[in-house]
Amino acid sequence: MTPAADHRAGGLPDSPPAAEFVEVSKRFGRVVACDHVNLALHRGRIHGVLGENGAGKSTLMKMLIGLILPDDGHIRIHGEPVKIVDPIEAARMGIAMVHQHFSLVEPLTVWENVALGDTGRLDPARIRRRVGEISEQYGLEIDPDDRIFDLTAGMRQRVEIIKCLRRDPEILVFDEPTSVLSPAESEFLFAALRRVVEDQGKAVALVSHKLAEVISASDEITIMRDGKVVDYRPTAGSDPATLARAMVGRDVVLRREHAAFGVIDDSGDGAAPVKQPVAQQGQPVLRITGASVTGRDGRVLLDGLDLEVHAGEIVGVAGVEGNGQRTLGDVLSSLCPLAAGRVEVGGQQVATGQAGAMAGAGIAIIPEDRHDSGCVLDFTVAENIFIADPQRVARRGLMNRAQMNGMASELIEKFDIVCNGARAPMWSLSGGNQQRVVLARELSHQPRVLVAAQPTRGLDVGAIEYMSSQLRAAADNGVGVLLISTELEEILDLADRIIVISNGRIVGGMRRDEVDIAELGLMMGGAQ
Amino acid sequence: MGNFFHAVGDIATNTSAYRNAIIVAVVLLFAASGELIAEKAGTINISLEAMMLAGAFSAAIGVDITHSVWIGLVCACVAGFLVAAVQANMSHRLPADQFVVGLVLNVLVLGLVGFLTSSIKPKSAVVRRVKIPLLSRPPLLGPALFDQPWVLYLVYPLIPLVWFLIYRTRWGLEVRAVGEDPNASDVSGLHVNKLRRQTIYLTGLLAGLGGGYFLFARAGKFEDSLIGGRGYIAIAAVIFGGWTLKGAIAGCVTFGLIGSFVLTIPSLGYQGIDPAFLAIAPNVVTIVAMAVFAKRVRQPGALARPFIRGLK
Repeated sequence: MTPAADHRAGGLPDSPPAAEFVEVSKRFGRVVACDHVNLALHRGRIHGVLGENGAGKSTLMKMLIGLILPDDGHIRIHGEPVKIVDPIEAARMGIAMVHQHFSLVEPLTVWENVALGDTGRLDPARIRRRVGEISEQYGLEIDPDDRIFDLTAGMRQRVEIIKCLRRDPEILVFDEPTSVLSPAESEFLFAALRRVVEDQGKAVALVSHKLAEVISASDEITIMRDGKVVDYRPTAGSDPATLARAMVGRDVVLRREHAAFGVIDDSGDGAAPVKQPVAQQGQPVLRITGASVTGRDGRVLLDGLDLEVHAGEIVGVAGVEGNGQRTLGDVLSSLCPLAAGRVEVGGQQVATGQAGAMAGAGIAIIPEDRHDSGCVLDFTVAENIFIADPQRVARRGLMNRAQMNGMASELIEKFDIVCNGARAPMWSLSGGNQQRVVLARELSHQPRVLVAAQPTRGLDVGAIEYMSSQLRAAADNGVGVLLISTELEEILDLADRIIVISNGRIVGGMRRDEVDIAELGLMMGGAQ
Repeated sequence: MGNFFHAVGDIATNTSAYRNAIIVAVVLLFAASGELIAEKAGTINISLEAMMLAGAFSAAIGVDITHSVWIGLVCACVAGFLVAAVQANMSHRLPADQFVVGLVLNVLVLGLVGFLTSSIKPKSAVVRRVKIPLLSRPPLLGPALFDQPWVLYLVYPLIPLVWFLIYRTRWGLEVRAVGEDPNASDVSGLHVNKLRRQTIYLTGLLAGLGGGYFLFARAGKFEDSLIGGRGYIAIAAVIFGGWTLKGAIAGCVTFGLIGSFVLTIPSLGYQGIDPAFLAIAPNVVTIVAMAVFAKRVRQPGALARPFIRGLK
């Protein structure tokens, strides 16, 4: 069914690809992000570009869009070698990209965002009309006068797509397009994508680390690993196991590894036996009741959220990004006070919004953005470990550096952190090892509750596996674990109990052993 | 204290108090309208003070040499632009910290102007008042707005022009976008730092013009204390006004009224109030106003944050 098969079999001579990478390389310092990559995007096809985080997919696409210049090799558009120096140049050549993190300016309206990057006189009426035309043609309904910050992630992505399509590009790049979408929104997106490809003959690159969605949406697949192309094949007839092996470079057996690829393995084979809730009876270690937070701009961020975590269980908070997860994490790390409601740890109420109160009460946190609030990149590993509680290695206000580095070295060993010793600067560590430092610090306080917000975002499979087993081990040691994640697969893999957050409140929940994925999806989409 | 209320009553009905208030409000407005655009694009342009002072000084030199107020005003714009060129290219090309650059420029220009003034001693010109028929008829506000030196009237067409520029042109849309989210603007194909530099150039032109205007409308004779911190007050007016043009106008008029009223008290013969209190009053009111208003409004998302590609 796919023209990709013909192409591989040397069938009809194809017209030159819409876009082609020829031996393209890019280095950042010592890191080789792309290593002599060859890849072709053809008209009328969706080309899945698959790889783990850090495999070089995004770097590659940024070169196509002109945000990064290649060090070596070149790019051809319709067979012509070109040099793409900035996004304006890329747009002129008919290349458009739907970004992983949206390129929308939130306080502006839909039509204003669509107009950004155009030239000539500003004609609001004409732009509104154009938005209407495109949204009708592709079934992407939207009001051009809505402000972006009032829109859900799915709607924002529609704006993003309209913004790309308005100049009628030949080549469309989607970078991890489903990371902020609910399952229903993802399906909608791929249906729209299929229309764009079939009706208009556009060339589409779909960049993703989720095997399942690439298999279901693409015509051909290129797999990247460590900056190299390791496999290319038509999608038809590919099986997940082979693709997963190519992505990681070894056999993938563990259930949680499947989870990391976005494959929901519900067969139960090889799965860790689902833990029966240990201490549902009695006091929960963490109880949040009626938590409400309103942002400075008047938006409701948390709207009467209730949840409980018992000792020894992992509670997974599932939900589409932007539904209050970040605020929940901020409340539990004392960054943000509650307007109403209360937080109790072990039955004792904890003051919200007071620096250190949550940590003092026994809540450990692995924050959503480890660079932003998890660690200080310019400090050493040891300093990062003791930054939250320097009293442990200080006397009368003086730091005992020998003791600090000594204790840090023990933790480095215990948590298997790969670094140049306790004095190595934090920035010299890989993302996975930085995350281990955060984990070591938080667990070394003997917490009662461990909050893990998107703990595996941006990590490779090995690091994800490590993080998952650590969370499991913490729960087995009697810590109540609250896992906040937008990756449903991750939650299904780890959690004993799953609750769903939508619009700042918990809309439902179920035990892992009684899970109904369709129903979960509905709840995540906002259905009560 | 009875004395004080008498004074307030007399000032509130004093034509020249209103006239002075508007003269000061307008110099703030020239600067603040430029500053507003710069802040919309993400720069807090501290060197506003230097731009105004350089403008006033150059206007004095220009009019001393050519005896033409118009040429004086052109000189003022050029001088403001030159200060802006330094600020813009240092902070949005190199990039150096915008505050450090701004503070250094303020100190540098003040020193330079002080030195040059003492060695050149420029003579200036006073611009005559032009009375606009009918409009200047109503008491108090009539003469304050429409019986003034003609250079003041330049601000009237400027205000709608600035509004149109920010809210109705593509350039204005792009300016607002880069001030809110430079990364999103960059991937949308806008030249973030180029746009930011352009807004600072425009601020330089307007603030310089404001300095020249103030020389002709107020002083007639150049002193290096002429601007005397009004650049900072104009920045405060923009923040006070919640980054809207309407709000900035309200801020300039408020600060103008306070400053003028306070200074009018002694000239009306009230000696009981400590002059030291009078001198600090406008600044106290500014601080109080900022404390009350500044937290309520949303500032441009990327205000005072430099944009460097690839850095978040």
